Amino acid sequence: MSTELTRSPEPPPPPDETGVDPNVVFTPPIDIFETEAGLVLLADLPGVTSETLELQVQDNKLTLFGRVKSPVPPGARVIHQEYGVGHFLRSFILSDEVDHERITAKLTNGVLEVFLPRAPKSQPRRIQVAIE
Amino acid sequence: MAIFRWGQQTWDPFRDLEREVDQLLASVSLSFQGLRVGRQYPPINVYELENELLLIAELAGAKPDALEVTVAEGVLNIRGRHNGPEGVADDKYRRQERPRGVWQRSLPLPDRILEDRMSAEFTNGVLKIRLPRGAATQARQIQVLDGSTEEAPAPPPSEAT
Repeated sequence: MSTELTRSPEPPPPPDETGVDPNVVFTPPIDIFETEAGLVLLADLPGVTSETLELQVQDNKLTLFGRVKSPVPPGARVIHQEYGVGHFLRSFILSDEVDHERITAKLTNGVLEVFLPRAPKSQPRRIQVAIE
Repeated sequence: MAIFRWGQQTWDPFRDLEREVDQLLASVSLSFQGLRVGRQYPPINVYELENELLLIAELAGAKPDALEVTVAEGVLNIRGRHNGPEGVADDKYRRQERPRGVWQRSLPLPDRILEDRMSAEFTNGVLKIRLPRGAATQARQIQVLDGSTEEAPAPPPSEAT
């Protein structure tokens, strides 16, 4: 068999500025609990900063995407590995009972806290019956 | 009307009937966590650089002042505690996956680590411990004496330290 290459080998993927394989995403562990005012969602996102976190509500889907940066300089050699380094992704379907407009979030020590306020109950609306 | 939907499961925290289902599922997720007990917490990666080793642990939610990092007799100990949110009763949980409680890990340090120059930092839920390495010591020849002779062994050649 010929060893001649019929096409040049694929160029290496452009280096990600985060130093993390963008094709690997992890599902972060979450807690969800109920309060008087609504629901609170906590997600463990170690290594994610407020600049690298995208929290998006589109239609009724809440998506969190947290990018992490490699914690080590390039050229570091792994000699012991118990977890994979990668971005975090998870999404949730929200119901109408969550007030989408008033969702707030904060990030502290790698933990994202999202507050999902309960939508105010719609008041029964009186419909005027026109008399002909 | 579900607040959240994971796969085929639906949750409605505002209805008692489905709350029962939820508790059922919560117990399922607890047993799943039980399966993960064998895995040590926190997970740790170790990297080798030119002059040091870097030990990195994912500890989202830890508080820097409550992290205890000690070194004694060549063993690194890290310990801490994950407190759940305060004042939340167990039956208020719809989902509980995040680790909780007291954790501790002990790791024997490799040779040549300069214990007095180790440093640790905690940023965005990631603990990074630097383990600087000392210079490699020169291989030293050890003279093998002939044990059959009765003579006292000659002192080794003096060596500048």
